[in-house]
Amino acid sequence: MKRNLSFLVSLIVLASLVLAACGGGAPATEAPPVVTEPPEATEPAATEPSTTEEPAATEPAASAGTAVITFVQQPTTLSPLYATQWFSTITTQFWLKTLWSFDPDNNPVPEIATEIPTVENGGLSEDGLTLTINLRDDVTWSDGEPVTANDFVFTYDMYMADSNTVASRYPYEDYFASVEAPDDHTLVITFSEPFAGWLPYTFAGGVLPEHVLRPVFEADGTLDNAEWNNAPTVGVGPFVFTEWEADSHMIFEANPNWINPPQLQQIFIRMADDAAQEVAILAGDTDIATFLDWSQADAINNSGVAQFVTQPSGYDEGWYLNFDPETAHPAMQDVNVRRAIVLATDREKIVQDLLGGLTEVAKTFWASTPPFEDPNLETYPYDPDEANRLLDEAGWVDSNGDGTRDKDGTELVLRYIANQRQLRKDVQAVVQQMWAQVGIGAELVNYGDDFFNGYADGGPQPTGQYDIAEYSNAGAYPDPEASFNWLCSEVVGPDNPEGGNWQGYCNEELDALFDQQATETDPEARTQLYYQIGKIMHDDVVWVGLWKDPDLWSVSTRLQNVRLSGATPFWNAQEWTVSE
Amino acid sequence: MLNYIIRRLAQAIPQLFLISIVLFMLMQAFGDPIASLGVRTPPRPADRERLRRQLGLDQPLYIQYLSWLIGNDWMKIDMDGDGVPETPGKRLGVLRGDFGNSLISKRPALELITERLPNTLLLMITVEVVIIIFSLMIGVYSAFKQYSFFDNFVTGLSFVGYSIPIPLIALLLMYFFSVNFKNWGLPYLPTVGMFDPQVGRTPGQIALHMILPVLSLSIISIAGYSRYVRSSMLEVLGLDYIRTARAKGLRERIVVMKHALRNATLPFVTLIGLDIPFLFAGAVVTESIFAWPGTGRLFVERTAQSDFPVLMGILMMIGVAVVIFQLITDITYSFLDPRIRIE
Repeated sequence: MKRNLSFLVSLIVLASLVLAACGGGAPATEAPPVVTEPPEATEPAATEPSTTEEPAATEPAASAGTAVITFVQQPTTLSPLYATQWFSTITTQFWLKTLWSFDPDNNPVPEIATEIPTVENGGLSEDGLTLTINLRDDVTWSDGEPVTANDFVFTYDMYMADSNTVASRYPYEDYFASVEAPDDHTLVITFSEPFAGWLPYTFAGGVLPEHVLRPVFEADGTLDNAEWNNAPTVGVGPFVFTEWEADSHMIFEANPNWINPPQLQQIFIRMADDAAQEVAILAGDTDIATFLDWSQADAINNSGVAQFVTQPSGYDEGWYLNFDPETAHPAMQDVNVRRAIVLATDREKIVQDLLGGLTEVAKTFWASTPPFEDPNLETYPYDPDEANRLLDEAGWVDSNGDGTRDKDGTELVLRYIANQRQLRKDVQAVVQQMWAQVGIGAELVNYGDDFFNGYADGGPQPTGQYDIAEYSNAGAYPDPEASFNWLCSEVVGPDNPEGGNWQGYCNEELDALFDQQATETDPEARTQLYYQIGKIMHDDVVWVGLWKDPDLWSVSTRLQNVRLSGATPFWNAQEWTVSE
Repeated sequence: MLNYIIRRLAQAIPQLFLISIVLFMLMQAFGDPIASLGVRTPPRPADRERLRRQLGLDQPLYIQYLSWLIGNDWMKIDMDGDGVPETPGKRLGVLRGDFGNSLISKRPALELITERLPNTLLLMITVEVVIIIFSLMIGVYSAFKQYSFFDNFVTGLSFVGYSIPIPLIALLLMYFFSVNFKNWGLPYLPTVGMFDPQVGRTPGQIALHMILPVLSLSIISIAGYSRYVRSSMLEVLGLDYIRTARAKGLRERIVVMKHALRNATLPFVTLIGLDIPFLFAGAVVTESIFAWPGTGRLFVERTAQSDFPVLMGILMMIGVAVVIFQLITDITYSFLDPRIRIE
């Protein structure tokens, strides 16, 4: 009987193993590997023997080798309409190129567009209201269909369709009046008002294949459940999506029909947690990894198989100050107290001690968004004496001898909040010590994932349960736009629960400048406006920069020609090669 | 018997309703799902408002619950934001088998769960089988050879095993069998995943990747359960009918296996019966450590994103499983112990 039982058990285990192996765990995406046979025959040889890519087109089969990338967060979808995760959006440079991408210096690089439109070349009208983009006529979808201006019109329609629960309609609902295709290779966009951020934003997510998705939209009434979202077997880029196994890996194969055929044969993305990622980097098992910590820099550089790389992407770590008289500490209303807080904080020391001196103090919110920070702006130095003087002058003195300043019976103890990240906790502790030198008390609070929750859900910041909140944020990199954090009209509250201004800061002068820059299409004039904005926010101590917070990458030494950028990190993936 | 089953199932229906209401209210405490929808920063105010409206999250809680339960095809939703509901809802509701779409990936919640369920069941059933076999073997043997070296050794070991948290066991095993073995040039075990993607989803690969998670998950339970088996075996071995069986001249093997064990396993069956529903839930922590693509890991991931259709789906699945397996446990009693009658 015993024997029978154990036999049965082993049978069950074996059977379940086999079952699971044969697809019991149905893969997220049952994508037949798209090899794109028709265009292989036609595209390089027949249709386009003319001007472009002659040397490359002669030997498209040169691609070889695999680049392994680790993602510490699993993408939830690949569709640009629904992607809410950075890890989803950065894959598009492999399989879904758009009009242009951005190089490490933040310069636009034409992809599907023939050139970057400017006022000089007639692409952008003088009044900034009409944008005419010429598309290359030799770009095809990976299934051989040509990419036309109609695909872009369709993409715009899908963002705006009420039945699609897209992640964000910016900037389409805010600035786009119409998107038209007078012919297959000309795209004409009319803005409702001059749109300063058109360059980084126009179809930044990518373009949708109309011939694949229109039938789906017509059948279902929405693209929410389209199979393409999770198995985009038709794309336009140096690689083609072939496989995505949930929680495991994702594979993109070389697309020899892309206008710049890739050197590599395969991009292999492995999902791993932080610990597994670190092991993989040091063992040389992964070529590209990100979401690293500053403390990993030495280990990676000393491993001999990888390099620690920093790349600005607009993010700066900083303090958001609470101005709401209802919820903030009364001292926060006084600009001299705010200045004293900054003067009492040795930010340079924080950068040196806690970040290994690998970055620098951020002077304004746009420190990592060149060229929008005034290089001549002088930030506050570390000057505890001046801080003491300002605080004394403002009437905050330690009258009861408990080591903390007070005024009218109120102790100068500020609520300094951050999330659970260890680095921030360390900074909080160090700052608490620094402030103690000048008699400012700090109550340190750390929140979990509800840190960013909205007003209605009682998120600590929108509901004003803080005086100083620390996190890393960016404008709409590479565009500087971030005004909703500070506009008067965006002040959060019971009558504006979705407001984006969680500081309660309101300054008419700043509002006017933000409004002006939004429609200023002359790059130089707009930069000057940002110099003024930065100056006001600096002088009034609205946002305090702690350090420039670039993306942290690890790139293996075997992978060559990797030039990560901030806006579109994998923009030159077709040039990557591996050396063994 | 049939009446009994029907009665029990009928009782289960209001129970499940109550559970679903409580869970649905608890979901609100998970935070705002819209807040986690920004790519790297919180989403824009205009998008927050639109998504809340399109996804029906601006509705009162009871409407949201009703939409989840019976669908929203009887009501209209304001998709275009003009303040007038105009688009008929499409959701069918849980009662009609539609658990809603994930708020994050827009895929049907049920699909996301069933996609990972086989992986979880494969892991967890193997674990349970390993637990049953080893705790029976160890428990019976320790009882039979009470106070022998083996018994004392296993007793000591089980206390050690029982007091180490699973994540620590998992990391220690990983460190020893993967990292150290690799450093020592020995054949080593894979650390994470279900198979090596470069080799593919073969039975051999899956078995290899299962060794460490199964070991981590079963050690504690074996340590604990073998104590139960041992003590109830000891109790039974001292009873008169065992002496009678021995006096009849039955072989010791038959006495132990057939007469003693069958009666000694009753409390053990209760334990296992309580365990089984949670096999569906997967091992939340262990699956995450070993990157096992199962429901437990899905639950952890989606908790961070407050993806409540998926979370509700997983929790309700466990709720239903608890009800069903409790019933099965009760019926099993009547087979194991003829004195228990179900009517």
